[in-house]
Amino acid sequence: MAFDPLSIRSQFPILAQQAYDNPLIYLDNAATTQKPLSVLEAMQNYYLTANANVHRGAHYLSDMATDQFENARQRVAQFLNAPEQSQVIWTKGTTESINLVAYGLEHLIQAGDEILITSLEHHANLVPWQQLAFRTGARLRVLPLTSDAQWQEELTHYFTERTKIFAVTQVSNAIGVHTPIETLIQQAKQHGAFTLVDGAQAVAHYPVDVTKLDCDFYVFSGHKMYGPTGIGVLYGKHHALEVLMPYQTGGEMVSKVSYQATEFNVLPYRLEAGTPHMEGAIGLATACDFIDQQDRQSMLAWEQQLANHVWVTLQKAANVEIYSPEQHTTLVSLSVPNIHTLDLNAYLDSQGIAVRAGSHCAQPLMAQLGVSGTLRASFACYNTMQEANRFCDVLLEAIDLLNDE
Amino acid sequence: MTDSLGQQKAVNIKAQLQACRSKEDTFKALVTLSKTLTRLSADEKIEENKIKGCESAVWLIVEEKGNERHFKADSDAKLMRGVLVAILSLVQGKTRADIQQIDLKAELAELNLSHYLTSSRTNGVLAILDRITSH
Repeated sequence: MAFDPLSIRSQFPILAQQAYDNPLIYLDNAATTQKPLSVLEAMQNYYLTANANVHRGAHYLSDMATDQFENARQRVAQFLNAPEQSQVIWTKGTTESINLVAYGLEHLIQAGDEILITSLEHHANLVPWQQLAFRTGARLRVLPLTSDAQWQEELTHYFTERTKIFAVTQVSNAIGVHTPIETLIQQAKQHGAFTLVDGAQAVAHYPVDVTKLDCDFYVFSGHKMYGPTGIGVLYGKHHALEVLMPYQTGGEMVSKVSYQATEFNVLPYRLEAGTPHMEGAIGLATACDFIDQQDRQSMLAWEQQLANHVWVTLQKAANVEIYSPEQHTTLVSLSVPNIHTLDLNAYLDSQGIAVRAGSHCAQPLMAQLGVSGTLRASFACYNTMQEANRFCDVLLEAIDLLNDE
Repeated sequence: MTDSLGQQKAVNIKAQLQACRSKEDTFKALVTLSKTLTRLSADEKIEENKIKGCESAVWLIVEEKGNERHFKADSDAKLMRGVLVAILSLVQGKTRADIQQIDLKAELAELNLSHYLTSSRTNGVLAILDRITSH
């Protein structure tokens, strides 16, 4: 059965407003999604009924808060098909998760070791590894994936005995392609490298099974999957999490402290210093509920249909260059020769349409594509075909207005 | 002579932008204004003249002629070129002391351009104003 965005749209009151006297059309979902009422209510309910510091007080509210907080961890573990809830570490988001791993593995990296990333990474999955390489004398190597991200035999040469870490995005934030993730992980594992998958652009759309993926680490943010900002996840295999040196220390992550020494707590707490983002975790668990309540197959098919419709419509228009694939993606990334994407963006904005223009925090990839930036329209479950059509119409108007020289 | 012409130009630009009733009007007015900007040559678009903090590339050159400060600017984005025309019309040929008397942020807000004054990384108008006043 076809997915009906109108059946869930009422759960997103923010979408009902006008932007500069036009109906707001929100197509910047790859940057952050809007939040359903259930997520907002769960967070408010936490404060209205259960707020206390977790794991500490032995009192009514603290027990309730701790239960809800740990149930949220269990819910996320289930969402990812992680074997145990202690494999779910709360972080601020994808960026912090990657930094936690980059700092946590530093003690195992030596000069001459190699850290391998791909050419489709955004800065969050590039800069922490580059800086780790600077600190340790390791070498950062870049697996040159083309914009269709197809696996090619000659890429095997990039995986060597010196490869200690391999970090890869599951879906490109800038051009929406899927990387051949299973093959890449197997290649890295054959050489004994730690593997980290950046799932930030995947979790809202595609069912994730970390056990099947068999990666050492999987990271994502809550706010890109209908959850709140400020909460994210680092999933890890037990042995991989165990070797991470805590990069933040303080309360919560310790079991015994004296002035002479400190004994660290067990997982997951060892990697979660300080009072955690309790209502964020609860909101994220509720976002998992929201996603799982949908018919996921038809929801994804709908999002891909919207992107494909825009792709096909704009492909026919002269002078639009599209960098995202025709199929199997939930976003469209494009540029128009001789027109700055910020100018296109400004006109779309004046008509109430929210998209993203720029380098998408992926400057090396933009250089590879030969553009300074692209315009990205990214879809979520609440977007309608009418919105997709309006985006195409207004974009073509913008090109007309700007194309007079 | 240039002064009175410059003065008239500033008045016109102000009138054009103030007449805008919507974001779309402002967009179209900036596109029109952008066409009046004298573009910089390739050898003027060097790193030294580039303003940091703009996602579109913006170059600004300040020349002192006696007490007067003269500005040349360019951008790879059209709307930003329109914004530059508006900004330069407020300060072109004035003395440093005169420019420092102008509340540029308030002036741009009056021109319906306050949208361009957010601290967002999308534009570096604040960085441009900084260079105009502090250079």
